[in-house]
Amino acid sequence: MENIIEVKNISFAYCEDEQNKTSILQDFSLNIEKGSFTAILGHNGSGKSTLAKLLNGLNKPDSGQVLIEGADSADPAHELEARRKVGMVFQNPDNQLVATIVEEDVAFGPENLGFPPAEIRRRVDEALKAVRMYEYRTHAPHKLSGGQKQRIAIAGIIAMEPACIVLDEPTAMLDPRGRAEVMETVRRLNREKGVTIVLITHYMDEAAAADRVVVMDTGKIVLDGPPKEVFSQAETVKRAGLDLPQPTELAYELKKAGIDLPDGIISTEECVAALTGALREE
Amino acid sequence: MSLVTVKDLSYVYSPGTPYAKTAIHDVNLSFDKGEIIGVIGHTGSGKSTLIQHLNGLIRPTSGQVLLDGRDIWAEPKKIRQVRFRVGLVFQYPEYQLFAETAYKDIAFGPVNMGLPEDEVDRRVRRTAQMVGVTDEMLEKSPFDLSGGEKRRVAIAGVMAMEPEALILDEPTAGLDPAGRDMILSRVREYREQTGAAVLIVSHSMEDMARIAEKILVMNEGRVFRFGSVEEVYSQPEELAAIGLNVPQVTRIFMGLRQNGLPVPGGVYTVERAKEVLLPLLSKGGGAHA
Repeated sequence: MENIIEVKNISFAYCEDEQNKTSILQDFSLNIEKGSFTAILGHNGSGKSTLAKLLNGLNKPDSGQVLIEGADSADPAHELEARRKVGMVFQNPDNQLVATIVEEDVAFGPENLGFPPAEIRRRVDEALKAVRMYEYRTHAPHKLSGGQKQRIAIAGIIAMEPACIVLDEPTAMLDPRGRAEVMETVRRLNREKGVTIVLITHYMDEAAAADRVVVMDTGKIVLDGPPKEVFSQAETVKRAGLDLPQPTELAYELKKAGIDLPDGIISTEECVAALTGALREE
Repeated sequence: MSLVTVKDLSYVYSPGTPYAKTAIHDVNLSFDKGEIIGVIGHTGSGKSTLIQHLNGLIRPTSGQVLLDGRDIWAEPKKIRQVRFRVGLVFQYPEYQLFAETAYKDIAFGPVNMGLPEDEVDRRVRRTAQMVGVTDEMLEKSPFDLSGGEKRRVAIAGVMAMEPEALILDEPTAGLDPAGRDMILSRVREYREQTGAAVLIVSHSMEDMARIAEKILVMNEGRVFRFGSVEEVYSQPEELAAIGLNVPQVTRIFMGLRQNGLPVPGGVYTVERAKEVLLPLLSKGGGAHA
């Protein structure tokens, strides 16, 4: 499979001044496959948000390269292209909306890219339909719920027709209904439109829905694989300061106490099936 | 007599205008010192409006809030005294830090209460210690602290007033699991040390199963349920109807019962699930034990 993003041996540090540097990433590499859905987990300060901003050139690596479809994102000639190809959605929906009408907000990106009006219209309508907010196109964004605002923010990115969307804790400020709406939207964009998704999250159930889970700790990748494999490494996940999904944690605790259960339990259904089998045997 | 009693409380936003909207309908409830209550409900369910009534930030359109049996609005000029007794920590309180040092920020409340300097100092140091803010951090500018540290400083600022009721609006939003566990255990510690009532607004049914003793579920401006964790969580269909989900581990037990297995109800945490399942799983299987 072709890689849409290649992070090659990068280092990154925040500098207060010449003497005080806080190194976040060192010799860090990561490839993101085209069309994939990757979740990145890590405790606060593990470097995951810094990484997110490196993926479209908002942060520039001190050394190494971030290639987007093969082009160096730090090269001024490719900088704008990198931002267009890799869109970002952040935590706070209120900080991402700029206009007073939903469709004007979504049009902001394509307008800045200089498209003719008919093309802007087409993109805005398609983007709003993709996040199922088309009927709200003439509403005022500040009167929408958090989940709806976040879907408008996603539509604003989609209108630029990016190949990849990086979402940095997009559901952290939402209620359960808003979380479900945003996650459903993200999954649908990935499956139906083939948009590559990089989702940074603290919610293990969201990560369990991805194709691939990357766990970061102090600027390094400590686990990388399909959710089942990653969450099977319960000790490592816990050491990285993270939770396990509840079904996985229950299976892990029971196995530790000597109960024989299969590996790779991450969903409620899998846990019910495994426990039903084990209880019937008794 | 209960510490706080809410009596026939209704609240209308923008009354008498075309935008009038009733946010709270006829709410009645009371709670006592020493209780930890989880407040759950969707955005727009009225929970934030309700808690802002409890320390007099919002004045009821009709009905009363009683503190120790006395209407908090009996003497509107003394409403400040109510705010010292009922402490409210807003969402993302770290955005409200303003002083030059963390110490001065935490001291702001106690100083406003008119406490003598040595008492202010005692309270600042005591609460800082309680929430895990070190002496070194106390001397720093709040802006040089990490997000989780800032939030703990902001919470300490309210705890330092030693309120008899401590209300926190989504205190763990945006924190990682370690940060969340830290805040919840510090809040419990505050209750242990002061015997105060604690109300925590949360979207996490899992977290509330672990920390709360009672659950208040708000829906469309009304009290949907108010009772023990057991009473509220044992009705998963009711909760699902208003878009709330019981913890995954509870759903696992529902699935097991549907499969005809004789597992008990009342399981809301992974710890409890393990306690219940172990004897069932290992009774015939000595080989595993």
